[in-house]
Parts: sequence; structure tokens; C-alpha cells
Amino acid sequence: MTFQQAAEAHLDDVYGYLAWFTSDRFAAEDLTAVTFERALRLWHRFDPDRGSVRTWLCQVARTVALDHFRSERRRVRREELAAPPEAIDFRFAEGLSPDLESALARLTPGEREVVALRVLLELDAGTAARVLGISPTNCTTRLNRALKKLEEALHVAA
Amino acid sequence: MSQRDLVAELRAAHVEAPSEVRERVRLIAAGAPAAPRRVTWRRALVVVVPIAAAIAATIVYTRPSHDTSVVERAIAHQPGTVRASIPAAPSGDSAAKAFALPSPTNRVQKYEATLSLRVEHARDVSDGVKRALRITTSFGGYSSSVHAETHGGRATAELTLRIPRARIQAAMAKLAQLGTITDENVSTVDQTALLNTTDREIARLQKQLAALRAQPTSPDNDRRIAALVTRIERLQRGEATTRRNAHYATVSLHLETPAATVVRQHTHGPLHGVGVALKWLGIGAVYTLAIGAPVAVLLLLVWLGVRVVRRRRENALLEI
Repeated sequence: MTFQQAAEAHLDDVYGYLAWFTSDRFAAEDLTAVTFERALRLWHRFDPDRGSVRTWLCQVARTVALDHFRSERRRVRREELAAPPEAIDFRFAEGLSPDLESALARLTPGEREVVALRVLLELDAGTAARVLGISPTNCTTRLNRALKKLEEALHVAA
Repeated sequence: MSQRDLVAELRAAHVEAPSEVRERVRLIAAGAPAAPRRVTWRRALVVVVPIAAAIAATIVYTRPSHDTSVVERAIAHQPGTVRASIPAAPSGDSAAKAFALPSPTNRVQKYEATLSLRVEHARDVSDGVKRALRITTSFGGYSSSVHAETHGGRATAELTLRIPRARIQAAMAKLAQLGTITDENVSTVDQTALLNTTDREIARLQKQLAALRAQPTSPDNDRRIAALVTRIERLQRGEATTRRNAHYATVSLHLETPAATVVRQHTHGPLHGVGVALKWLGIGAVYTLAIGAPVAVLLLLVWLGVRVVRRRRENALLEI
């Protein structure tokens, strides 16, 4: 598989993962481009025997997203002194109810990340755990906790 | 809403990258180079195995030959008063010519030679003895003593040959072909002066004898004549013995197998070089382990610490 083929096949997955992870559409668009730039530089390191292209791209995207979170946290700390952060109106995906959108927005980035990997991208526990750098059990626990929070939020909204 | 319905609704959601992102990624991907050749373990094996085999073969076939050194040591330790060492084993003819001395026909010389030969196997010693005797006989000579001995895989033979002086050079050349020369020693002692002195003494005594015989017969004169005759006869017998001895050269031929028992004791198999290499690799590994293990443990602890700190920071960042 060439890099062009990989990028074409998994662009939506990477974008969806980043969009849910950051809950920021504009940031997700930029981070998607950065992810593929970095993936192109690291393409020679990709080993198909160790995992699929999609898993590898998600790992690269996660590194990019973590860098984004770190810089964003520094920026927010700096700017909070001057002006409070604006609430971003963001739609996670087409076809989700407003209540579910609202409940997703209230999840922490870590919880949204595991939901994106396990539910949106439908990765199995082992693969998702490898992307997150944790054990499959920990990954499942984290997913259950996130789903429970979503469930509670929807129950309150109802 | 149950968790199952929740998951179903989330999975039904459709996320698609905007067209401008798609276009940016296409532009990025367009700059991708051709896929590089990957070094798999099979490909690495194809390269590594022949190289390892070549190294092993080099070790095995280029190791120093113990056989040669042992033989050389054995030769070097053989006793001898006067020794002519031969650096490289020459052919029989050239060696014989190198040690051959001119034999003037008008001189009477005592010729003695020692020839040590190395043969490969014990049966070659036996064959060598037979051939040496045949050579000696063919040159008109004879053997004055033959002693052969076989002990284990080692065999030696000592022959004392008497060969006519006139044909000694040809005989030595033939004898030298029985094996590889390890020692050769030739000595000649000129006897002509001694014989001339004896001749003069005999002539002088014969003159005295003639003078005594010319005198009148008396018991005292008869006694002196008898003493002179006895002395002249003794001198003539000695002279004859010297001439007879000078007619034959004495060759001490020594045949032996190399210090084969020593070689066999130290015979190494074809994988000896590999064994030596592995031994040194093992020694290196032990030292590396002794020095490297604490360093490796320390590095492992540092790595684990860094990992834990990073994980905690990451969790804090993602509010987990």
C-alpha cells in the first residue's frame, strides 16, 4: 500500500478521531493535515507486520493531538488573564441528537478519545489500547466510564 | 437510553473530512516518495547467513597449522653436535648436491655422512629401510648395521651403510629421495698425509733392514732383523686398513615419522576455530554482562520513571 492510498483510505477516520478528541472542528482540520505531514515523514518506519495503517495513523494523530493540547493549555493559561475562553459551538457528527452532542461535549478529552476509537472507528480493545498506550482492560474500563457518563447526561437531559 | 442504543446511535453518526482538508492531504500525499525496500528478517537472513558462513570458513581454514609447528619443534629439539639445518625441505637431488664434497681421485679421504629423513607414516619407514638397502647394494656397498623400531604410531630406523667413496654422491642423492631431509651432516678427513708419513717410515725401516741383513749373522743381529720385520708388517697392515676404510664412505641414515603422536594428541577438528571464536565471544559476553547489566538496569529504571511521569502528565492533560 502506498502512502497516497493509505491517506485516501483513512482520511475520514483520522479526521473523525481528531474531531472527537479535540471537540474543535478547525483544530481537527489543521491537526489532520499536520498528522499526514508527519506520517509522510515517518512512513519509512511503518511496519505492516506490527499493525494496520489505520492504527499507525491513529498513533501519529494522537501524538499530534497531545502536542496540540499542550500548546493549547499554555495558550489558554496565558489568555485567560486577558479574556475568558469562548464556548465553541461544535457538531461532532451528522445524525447525532442535540442531547448526545451536548453530552459528548461534556466528556473529558480522554473519554472522548476512547469513545472515538472504540465506537466511531470501531477498533477492538487491543488495538485501541495500543493506540492509547494502556492495557486493554484499562481501555475497556475507560470506555465503560465514558459511556456511563453519556448515559447519565442523556438521562438528566430527558 | 440504554448503553447499547447509545453505542448504536454513536456508530450511526457519520464523520467526513471537509473537502478543503481532503485537498490538503492529497497535496501532502502527492509528495510521497516511492515505497522504500524494507529490511525484513528473511532478507537480513539471506545476507547474514552467507557472511557468517564465510567468517566461519575463514576461521577454520586460516588457522595456523599445528602439524608444521610441532614437526619443526620436534626437529629443533633433536640432539646433535654438528647440525646442518635446512630451512625448507629441498628435493633429494638438490640437498645431496648442496652437501656433496668433491672427491679427488689422487687423495685418500675418510668420508662420513649423516642423513636424517622424515617420512609420513610408519610403513614408509619400513619401505625406506628396504629401499635404502637396495640402493646401497646397487652402488656396490653394504650395510654394517640396521636398527628399526616402531612404537605406537611412531617409527624410527637407524642404518649404517658403507658405500664406495667414488659413488657416494649419487648414492646420497638416491637416499635423500626416501623422505624429507631434516638434517644432513657430511665430514671428510684427508688421510693422504698420514699414509705418506707411514710410507716414509716403512721405507726408512726397510733401509735399516737391508743394512742389517748385509751384516754377518749373529743372534743379536737376528733379533733386530725380526723386530724390524714385525714393525714394518704392522705399519703395512695399518696402511692397508686405512686405504680400505677410505675406499668406503660411512653413511648413517636416520629415518623417522614426524612427531605424529604429538600432533595426534593436539589434533583439532574442523570446527576448532569456531570453538575458539565462541570461547572468546563467551568471555566477551561475560565481561559485557558484568559491566553492562548494572548500566542496563539503571537505564531501565530511568526509562520506567520517565514513562510514569509522562503518563501522569498525559492523564492530567486529558483530564482522565
